[in-house]
Amino acid sequence: MRFTPTELTGPELDLQAEVREFLAAELPPGTHEPGLGMAADHDREFSARMAARGWVGMALPSRWGGSDRSAVQRFIVVEEMLRWGAPVGHHWVGDRQTGNVILKFGTDEQRERFLPPICRGELGFSIGMSEPDSGSDLASVSTRAERADDGWIVNGTKIWTSNAHMNDWFICLLRTSPMEDGNKHAGLSQFLIDLSSPGLEINPIPFLDGSHHFNEVTFHDVYVPDINVVGDPGMGWHQNTTEMAYERGGPDRWLSPFSTVEQLLRETAGTPMEDTVSDLFGELAARWWGIRNLSLSVARLIDEGEAPSVESALVKEMGTRFEQEVVEKLVQLIDQEYSPESESLFERLLAQCVVTFPGNTIRGGTIEILRSVAAKGLQGLPA
Amino acid sequence: MTAASSTQPAGMTALTAREPVVVDELVTETAHRLFNELCTHEAVQAAEDNGAAPEIWDAFCETGFDLIAIDEAAGGSGGTLAEAAEVLRMVGYHSAPIPAAENGILGGWLLASAGMDRPDGLVTVVPPSAQGPTAGCSIALAGDGSASVTGEALRVPWARIADEIVCVCEHDGQSIVVAVPASQCQITPFVNMAGEPRDTVRFNGAAGRAAPAGDGVNADSLIQRGALSRVALMAGAIEKMCQLTVTYTNDRVQFGRPVARFQAVQQHLVWAAQDAALVRMAAECAAREATRDCADFEIAAAKLIANQAAARATKACHQAHGAMGMTQEYPLHHFSRRLWSWRKEYGSDAHWSAALGKMATGAGADGLYPLITGGTAALQ
Repeated sequence: MRFTPTELTGPELDLQAEVREFLAAELPPGTHEPGLGMAADHDREFSARMAARGWVGMALPSRWGGSDRSAVQRFIVVEEMLRWGAPVGHHWVGDRQTGNVILKFGTDEQRERFLPPICRGELGFSIGMSEPDSGSDLASVSTRAERADDGWIVNGTKIWTSNAHMNDWFICLLRTSPMEDGNKHAGLSQFLIDLSSPGLEINPIPFLDGSHHFNEVTFHDVYVPDINVVGDPGMGWHQNTTEMAYERGGPDRWLSPFSTVEQLLRETAGTPMEDTVSDLFGELAARWWGIRNLSLSVARLIDEGEAPSVESALVKEMGTRFEQEVVEKLVQLIDQEYSPESESLFERLLAQCVVTFPGNTIRGGTIEILRSVAAKGLQGLPA
Repeated sequence: MTAASSTQPAGMTALTAREPVVVDELVTETAHRLFNELCTHEAVQAAEDNGAAPEIWDAFCETGFDLIAIDEAAGGSGGTLAEAAEVLRMVGYHSAPIPAAENGILGGWLLASAGMDRPDGLVTVVPPSAQGPTAGCSIALAGDGSASVTGEALRVPWARIADEIVCVCEHDGQSIVVAVPASQCQITPFVNMAGEPRDTVRFNGAAGRAAPAGDGVNADSLIQRGALSRVALMAGAIEKMCQLTVTYTNDRVQFGRPVARFQAVQQHLVWAAQDAALVRMAAECAAREATRDCADFEIAAAKLIANQAAARATKACHQAHGAMGMTQEYPLHHFSRRLWSWRKEYGSDAHWSAALGKMATGAGADGLYPLITGGTAALQ
């Protein structure tokens, strides 16, 4: 394992300035309600305007509607969007991972069908992994797809499905043959399922504060045509593991509280600041600098053709814990009783961080699972 | 909520990419091979007991690494600051008991900046303390380039084996480099937590040489360069400490399996590995910027990161080692005690947080992220 320092090239720095200029014009600082990283709002129009710049699905090939850009260029766009708290929710999953999965494992027909609209910022994807009896032990999923004429019949239930009530498509890990003793990773397949399919029922699982992000998605004899199977039936576990590498280690795992910290600085400008508060800004700037350099080096490794799964797991485990630590430090320091209804935007954001950030070390693989992946890598064992 | 400003927010102008800073791999390999042979557990322990390891220092000097990053024209070995930091990383990795930083990138740099000749032998530097560059000392300058120093300097690394003791002080608003032969001083041994010499030097009116420091060389820039040296040393020490811990927890069997198979132990391994990666990244990025230009933000950030990581990683590695790590016979302490000491040298957590806080709040809300991505260059 080695994180090699890297820095942005001239064209990459130009892209960074271009994205900042776009955001300053679209969402002038101090005038929009920023989101908390990837939990930001869904806004189909904003996604379309980003896509018009070539910034959605940008690392996909131009043949399929992408911009032939690199993982580092995507990193630059994503970090600026997240630090701004921009409403990237609608295209987020398709841009980060589903497009890559379809490119890597899909057929040309699927690429033609899905990648151009992903790159236009049109398609919102949900991810179907967890089930009532399968969480961290993902290979135990039991929602099954059974053979039918030219397709499959799906029955079962997926849970914790973010934004299924707003999205268009569902990329699902399903069991296509019964669990074998000693090889639970076999018999799993990935499917693309239209969220408006007959027999597919979406019910909210209210978040602890009553808000609606999570859903339970139940399949009652849902028909999925053969052309929606991604890759070879039975190879779902391998494909899913590859997908996770795209999901981990990026700026979304360490920038979630940035807009909150920035807003505190905005609201305290011009008033005398206590040393403890100033010192905290200094410490956070330093730690963000350090972790960003690690995360950027992972993106560079991906561009060099590596599959840095251990490095990604280390960054995600560290980054999500850091996000929670940032919030705890703010809470310790700020002598205000913040609430989701505070007049101050900073206080509203902080209240939202306190309530939602316990999920940051759970979503997309708990930190306990990540530690096990990373520890095996450190010992030179297969993850 | 504040109203939208009509002026452009900070960070809108693209920074210019700069020439890459390349570190010759031969530097790392040569230093690693040298120390791997000489800095055995026993040799490092013996150096602590004896207060020095002259044979290791002599071998180090034969490679020219003692004067790396000092211009050949000034009697140095050439090479970049980034390469010097790489040598220091290897010093830390092997807990080499030698004054590599003091003699070269600190003392050698001060002398060269002032156009002063290097003495034959070993140079050390008085670390500027929080109270001023030479707390408790006063300096009288004569017009002919000579100076006399009175008073006491504390925690001077390796003074007992030095030939000349160098300090930087302010005189009439100008920074002056003063070099005093160690033979003129009364040196009382003192040590840091790793048993490394950090001696008390009484000058007693010692006569030395003096010259105006070069551009930008003063107590603050010495603290900064000293901090960079400690970050590089710490990066090596944390990395080695982690490797010891991975090996130990794989070898140590309890309840019928290596303890590294237990999730609770894996947590320590992962956290320590993260800190090792973080400090090495910080050290390399800070050294790269310092090689090019001003690195106010990067060095401050790197030292704060290293200080905090040292605390976490020593805790994790000791816990994973159990009682064995608490013994003198097992080498973990060579690294953990150095990390506890280096954490406090050239700027504590509080010192660097305060400096970083001024930069961050000075950048303002719109400038905060550009500072994180662009570093010192974004402040200019």
